[in-house]
This record gives sequence, structure tokens and C-alpha cells, in this order.
Amino acid sequence: MELPPKTYDLLALLRSENELYIGDAENELGIPHPSVNRAALELEDRGLAEINEEQEVREHLTDKGERVVERGSPEFRLVKLVRGGETGVGKIQTELEAGDVAIGKARQRGWIDIKDGEVSLTEQGRSAEDEVRAELEAESFRDEHHDRGLVDTEIDTLRRVSVTDEGEEVEIERIEGFNVTAPATTPITGKRHFYRQIIDEARRRWLEMGFQEMNGDYTVSGLLNFDALFTPQDHPARELHDTFYLENPSESDTTRFGDMVGNIRSAHEDGGDTGSRGWRYDWDEKEAARNVLRTHTTAVSAEKLAELDEEDLPAKFFGVSRAFRNETVDATHLPEFYQSDGIVVGKELSFRDLKGYLEEYFSRMGFEEIRIVPTYYPYTEMSAEVQFHNEEEEEWYQLGGSGMFRPEVVEPLLGFEATVLAWGLGIGRIAMNAADLSDIRELYRNDIETIENTEVWLPR
Amino acid sequence: MAHIQIDKREFESLLGEKVSEERLSEDASMLGAHWEHVEGPKWDVEVYPDRPDLLSVEGLARAYRGFFLEQDPEQYDAEEPRIELSKDSSVEEVRPCIGGAVVKGVRLSEKIINGLIQLQEKLHETSGRRREKIAIGLHDMTELEPPFTYRAVRPEQVEFTPLEREEEMHLGRILDEHEKGQEYGWILDEHDKYPVIEDSAGQVLSFPPIINNQLTEVSPQTTDLFVDVTGTSQEAVHRALCIMSLALVERGGDLEQVEVDGRPAPNLSPEKHELDPDYLRQVSGLELSTQEIKERLEMMCLRPQETDDGGLEVEVPCYRGDVLHQYDLIEDVVIAHGYDNAEASEPDIHQHGDEKPVEEFSRVLRDIMVSSGALEAHTHILSSEEKQFGSLERPDSGAVRMRNPLTEDYSIVRKDLLPELLRALHDNRDSRFPQRFFEVDDVAELDDSVTGASNSRRLAYVVSGEDMDYTDARRVLHVLERDLGVYLDLREAEMPFHVDGRSAQILVDGERAGNVGQMSEQVLENWELNRPVAGFELEVEVLEESFRC
Repeated sequence: MELPPKTYDLLALLRSENELYIGDAENELGIPHPSVNRAALELEDRGLAEINEEQEVREHLTDKGERVVERGSPEFRLVKLVRGGETGVGKIQTELEAGDVAIGKARQRGWIDIKDGEVSLTEQGRSAEDEVRAELEAESFRDEHHDRGLVDTEIDTLRRVSVTDEGEEVEIERIEGFNVTAPATTPITGKRHFYRQIIDEARRRWLEMGFQEMNGDYTVSGLLNFDALFTPQDHPARELHDTFYLENPSESDTTRFGDMVGNIRSAHEDGGDTGSRGWRYDWDEKEAARNVLRTHTTAVSAEKLAELDEEDLPAKFFGVSRAFRNETVDATHLPEFYQSDGIVVGKELSFRDLKGYLEEYFSRMGFEEIRIVPTYYPYTEMSAEVQFHNEEEEEWYQLGGSGMFRPEVVEPLLGFEATVLAWGLGIGRIAMNAADLSDIRELYRNDIETIENTEVWLPR
Repeated sequence: MAHIQIDKREFESLLGEKVSEERLSEDASMLGAHWEHVEGPKWDVEVYPDRPDLLSVEGLARAYRGFFLEQDPEQYDAEEPRIELSKDSSVEEVRPCIGGAVVKGVRLSEKIINGLIQLQEKLHETSGRRREKIAIGLHDMTELEPPFTYRAVRPEQVEFTPLEREEEMHLGRILDEHEKGQEYGWILDEHDKYPVIEDSAGQVLSFPPIINNQLTEVSPQTTDLFVDVTGTSQEAVHRALCIMSLALVERGGDLEQVEVDGRPAPNLSPEKHELDPDYLRQVSGLELSTQEIKERLEMMCLRPQETDDGGLEVEVPCYRGDVLHQYDLIEDVVIAHGYDNAEASEPDIHQHGDEKPVEEFSRVLRDIMVSSGALEAHTHILSSEEKQFGSLERPDSGAVRMRNPLTEDYSIVRKDLLPELLRALHDNRDSRFPQRFFEVDDVAELDDSVTGASNSRRLAYVVSGEDMDYTDARRVLHVLERDLGVYLDLREAEMPFHVDGRSAQILVDGERAGNVGQMSEQVLENWELNRPVAGFELEVEVLEESFRC
């Protein structure tokens, strides 16, 4: 086997010593530490050596400790001052830079008494010796030295390299020159967060498909979050345990929505002009005025519809943003999550077009096999859950919801008839897979190693 | 979403045919109720809230006789009323709606009864809104003496022995002491009179929506049943009565109507809806002939009839309340046709994709920040007053706040990104140093918009390390100035969270755009950070405006 010079030399040394520390090899070979490290790593890579790490706890004097060794411990210097005839507490404190410590420690050891501001030596004090200094000098450290900040602990990692059987036996040849294959350290860099990067990839795909971006505020009225989406006011989704209602700001000014409010009321009560018979109950505008944190980004789609005029059609919009649910936090639930929402608005759109857009997007995201199955949302008819097939587990997993907005949703918002394809798709699962996470909370923990070590995402 | 457990063998005997496990797990869900195998003959079926008629094995068998076997829709009929139920005006205030039905000659077993109780409980939970909107009672008729009366009485006025008790109790005591009273008493909280159904001998059948008399408890020997449904919505009461009494009919019973307040109940007449086949073809995108549409409607237990103008009139059975619009019928046709069998079209609306300007600018900012050597953080939007204000030693200046948070940790919407980045430093305090994080994302601010709060885009940055200080944050501001060509005008300022003298306000074109500084000892202590931290936060919209003009 051909080995570069330093690697060759290290192996040769290992063959005679069997094993040694990097530091020792450094001395023996006369080459710098990082070079020995690299040579050892290369040997390990080739299966010729093994590296084991050992932790060595090392105690050493701090600056304060050094001063004690030089000049004596504060308490002993105090004793020396008193022996020299200085007895005033004030004077002693100005004389010693750590006067309080000195007095405290000297009293604790029973070396001095203080009376009326005068210090006197006790019996023990007269025969006292500077043990602390002696101990520090002898490097015989105790807890007290640590507590006083005289001694500090450092943990060193020592690398011990030992030769493997293969390393003993293989024939080696020393080749001169630079080793281009030797590993080097990875530089520290800036980096995008993997979740954001995936979100950007999803956004880019919608843009490529000709969608225009829409966004909205986290705070929305119940009117847009629920009522405009034909969710009756006694629907369980509107209950406190699912929805964050707001204390501040508590209500929207629904008068600023114009005709839309009356149209939504009719849709709920008797269907209005939509051809529906409605939910048949008394709709309450005050309930609709209550503010919530949007429980789905479909509220953003509803807001976008309310802005459109007939001549804007056909049109298609997307948004990737967060929505909120009042949920208990655990490994699979968080009170906030991303949805990729989209709408296509036109006069002659069909259920088959809905399937077409979903298939196009998911194939661009790397999901070749998807299907849609019937489900229920109050605001869509042809409601369809989007699922993908996991080959390994032979199971269908949910990717999101989709459907065609009901006329009771479309007509009050737009003010005219049209067909609206809509979806709200998840994105968290893709990020969890990309970073190999099992706990959803990790997506928000910003662990440096996870961010640094997660590969960039592109559909494969 | 409601889940029910059913026995495959029971399902098959009601359906009249054996079904393979594969067909159940693959094809059955295509009707809009999700089937999953539990173990042995047990299956879990997830039923969506628009189809409460599927909450029993009887209802499922009825639906799959059409969907799987393409049998003609069931035609139910009922005998004329022989029994009366009169409603007293005293119930108007407390629980105004009631319906009743008699089903005779039912063949029951322990298992069937459990299934019926499951149906009853699931209806209570879902369309019954935990018994507030509707509650159902099933009674063995043997001991009863019709006619029946529905009235409201004072809590001490009547006594009876409720189910699961040995002694007579008055209504007030039942609410206080009986488990069901404790669980559902809230529905009657604001009333001083409670509803009861009694027979002509003065025996209480039921104290809705709480509990029945044990006298009428249904057992496997029971053959003749009285069903009552009470509630606050006549439509919901009607629907539940149809679902419950027709489940008993599926068990071999004969339905006999009850005259409730002068009207026969349940009213089995179907609702009629028009369906325009052309509209269906357009919305579904499916080229189906009118005949094919009719066949698919029948698979869903709906009865279509062609009208003179080429349209369809569709009869929707009384147990289905989810058809509000012809759109709902179109969905049923597409479900019967199979979502899988609708071929995806090639989308053909031509339009240019457009990023939101603020998103485009944010993308550029993220690139600049990464190039400066920082890691992008991804933090929670939901925060707490302690985190946003307390940890920065600054007064609470008001934030979007929830009325009903489950935990204080997620009780407001963040007002600044900075505290969230300090949290990232805290979480990494045992990692390598120096550390640099940034984030570009929204916060929420109170204002005078329609809702009273709007989002605002921010850019924040923190740097921490043994030798890091104010200058290290300042340097990154220079990177932004260099790459964006904007001038950041710094003015020395005091912030409660910065070290005095190492704090500045940032102005852009004379407008407030943010702050930069070194975090105070107290802030570091609050976040348990052992090394100096400096950072800044900027209003992205102000930066963007200066950049774009």
C-alpha cells in the first residue's frame, strides 16, 4: 500500500510502539499536531489503525492561585501583618487587596479574634503556617481551592492511536508528495435552515406552475376563517379547544366588509341566491366578528377571493404559511404548522383539473404515486384527501386536503358565479423525513448540529 | 371525526354478501368512510360529520348495498300513528323540540343493542353537540301506557328510578348525584324547570337529555321499542329520529308513526332536489350520459327521475341531511363513479408566476445573511409575555393575545424576533462557539386595521462568543449596507435590554427601522447565556422601501 510520508512514518512508529498518544507521536516524529491527527485519521480510514478518545481531567492554578503561590494566601498574609504589629481592621483591609476574604478565612480557621476594630492572634494564630500555599505549590488540590477560585479544571481529550492487525501486516511503501485524499476539517459556514429551504422549494414549484403568491395576517375574523367557508356557527371546529380566540384584539369591524357580510348571512340561513337551502339557523354577526388566529391558511384563500373581480379570471394563487390550533404540545402536535394553500378560479374548471394541478405539483415535489379519496370539509364539495404511497411501509399517508369550494362559499365572496379549486397541503412531513426527525418539536429547536448536518433538499 | 367499531360478520349478514378484507380496506373507503382493520372480525370505521347515517353497522350495510352490490335504494314505509305524544308549552324555554317513533317486532341481541347504543352515543357526540342539540332515548314499551306527554317540571316535582340506580330520585338529585347528571347537567344550567317525558299513568320514561327510567331499559328480550328524540333544532331531531328508527327497521322491526303534537313522526318523505346533468358534466369534467348519472345516484341510495326538460329530479332519503345544493349530489355521483376513475386533466390556465415583493426581498436578505456566516433559525410564532417582554427587561407594550391558551408558553403572538433568537442561543449553550443566528419572518403588531392587528416582516440577527461584542453585530449591518446599497443611520440610544452605551437606534431615510446593541448582563442571565451576545432587529418593509426606490 502506498502511503504519504507522514502517514507512513506514523504507521512505522506504531508498529514498533503498538500504540501511543497523538501528543507522543508529535514529539517522536517532530511534526505538528494537526499533521499527526490527519495522518492518524487517514490510517483509520484505511483500516490500519484505530483511534480511541480518552478524557483527561486536568487541574491547574488560576491567576488567583498563582498569586497565592507567589505571595501567600490572604489569610496568612493577614497573620503576618498582625505579627508585624498592625492590628487595625481598616488598615489591614486597605493593605490586603482581598481583605474580606483574609479576615473571613482567618476567623474560620480560628487564627484571629476581632474586638472593637482591633485584630488579635489566637494561640493557633501564633503558630499558624500557610498550608494553602504549600498545598498549591505541591499541586495537592482540594475542593476548597476550587471553591475559592484558586484552581480550575480542564478536560482534555486525548487521542490514543493503536495499530490494527492489518496495519501490522500490510506491505507499505513511502511515497513523497502532497496527499490530496487526506481528510481536512470542514469550515464553519452560514447555512439555510432545512425547513425554510424546503418551503422555498415548494414555493418555487408553484411559481413555475404559474401561480401568484398570496399572503395574509395571522389574525383574522371568524367571518373569513369560518363563516365565509360555510362552517356553521355551532360547528365543533369553532369550539374553544380547537381554535385560538383572541382577547386582544377581540373583534373585527365587520362593517368594513361591505355586502359580503349580508351574502354570507343568507348563504347560512337559507342559501340566498346560491341555489342552496342553507344550514337553516339564525346566523349571528357578532359571532362572525370574533377574531381568531387563522386555524387554516384557507382563510387567506377566502380573503384573496374577496378581492377578485370578474375580469381577473381565470387566475391561480398559492401561499405557504403558518396556521394555528389550540393543541397540547407533544412529539406529533404543535400549536402552529405550515400549510401550502392554493386556489384556481375560473368559469369552466372541473374536478379533473383539480386532480391535474395536484398531480403536477406533487410530481414536481418528487411524489410520483398519489391518490385522492373522499373526505369531508364544510366548504368543499368533491372533498378529497390527498395521499401518497409509501413504498417501504406499503401504506398511504395523508398529504393534505383539497376540493372544490361550494357555491355557498364562492358566490358570497366573489359576488358572481365561478368554479374554485382549492387545497391546503402539509409540508412538515417532508421536512421531518429530510432531517430524519421523529419529534416535530425538533423543527423549531435550532440545534446547530442538526442545521449544519442536514443535507439540502431537492426531490429525488 | 367519529370512529365506530363494527363486526365484519354482522356487516356481511346485513349486507347479504361476503366481502373480502382487501375490498374493505381498499375500496370501502372510496364511499367516504374510512375503513381500517383492527383485529379478527373487528373493523374501525371513521365516519365524516356530514354522514351521521353511517354511524351504525345497519347504516353502513344499507349504503354498501348500493355502493358495492348496486341494489335498488331501500324504500321504507310506516304504519299510521296509533299513539300520541303531546307537547306542553312549558318546554319551549328549555328544550322545545321532540319527535317519537314506535318500532315493533325487532329481533335484538346483546351485540345488536351495543351497536345501537354506539349509534346513539356517536349521534350525541357529533350532530347532537354533546346532547345539547339532540338527545335520543330508547325504551322497551312493555310497561308503558300511552299516550305520552312532554313537559317541563320543577326539579323536586317528579321522581323515578334512573338507569344504574336502585332508588327513586327527583330530578335535582339526579343532576347532583348521577354520573350522567354530572356529565350533562350543564345543558340545563340556566333553567329552573327540567323536561320529562311521561306516560298516561304518570310514569317518567325519560329525563332528557340526561337519563331514562330503568323501567324501560332495553334488553335482548325486548321486541317493541319507543324512540324519543329531544333537542333544540327540529331539523336535527327529525334527522336523528329517522336514523335511529330506521336502524331498528333494518333489524326486522315494523315502523309505526307517533302523532307528535298533531303531526305524524317520523316523516319519511324524501327531500327533492334538482340536478342539471350539463352542470354536473362541467363541474366534474366527466362525460357521463344521463343514464350513467342515474345509475351512479342509485348506487348512493338516491332516487333520480328524468324531468321533461332533460333534467333530473332526485329524491334524497330522510336520513340524509347533508344535501343542501345540487353540488352535493354531484359529489355523490363522482364518489360512485370513483375518484380514481376521474382522469387528471392537463392544467391549461396560462399565467405568469409571481412572488410577493416582500417574499422576493426576504429571499435576498436570507442569502445575504447566510453569506455573512450566520445559520438561519426557524422559531415559533407563538410566544409568551414572559419571553417577549420579561426576559428583555422591558415593559409589556401590548401584543396579540389569545383568550384561551392551553399554556402560557404559547399565549401571545411574537412582537419581535430577537427573544426567539435568544432562545436559540439558550438551546445551543453547550455547543461550539462563536454562534450566529438570523431569521427573516413575520411578527404581529396591534393597529387600526379591520381585525386590529397586522403582520410585519422582520430581520433579526444575534452573535455570541467569548470575544464577541457590539462591533460584531455592527459589522453585519455593514454587509447589509454594502449588498443592498442602503444607508443605516445609527443614533446612540438606550434600550432596557442593551448594555448602556452599546445600544443604537437604526434609521433608514429618517424612518425608524430597528435597533442594534449588546445584550445586558441581566438579559444574559435571564437566558442563562455565559458569553457576550450582540444583535439587531430590522423592519424589512422599511429596508425594502429604501432599496427599491
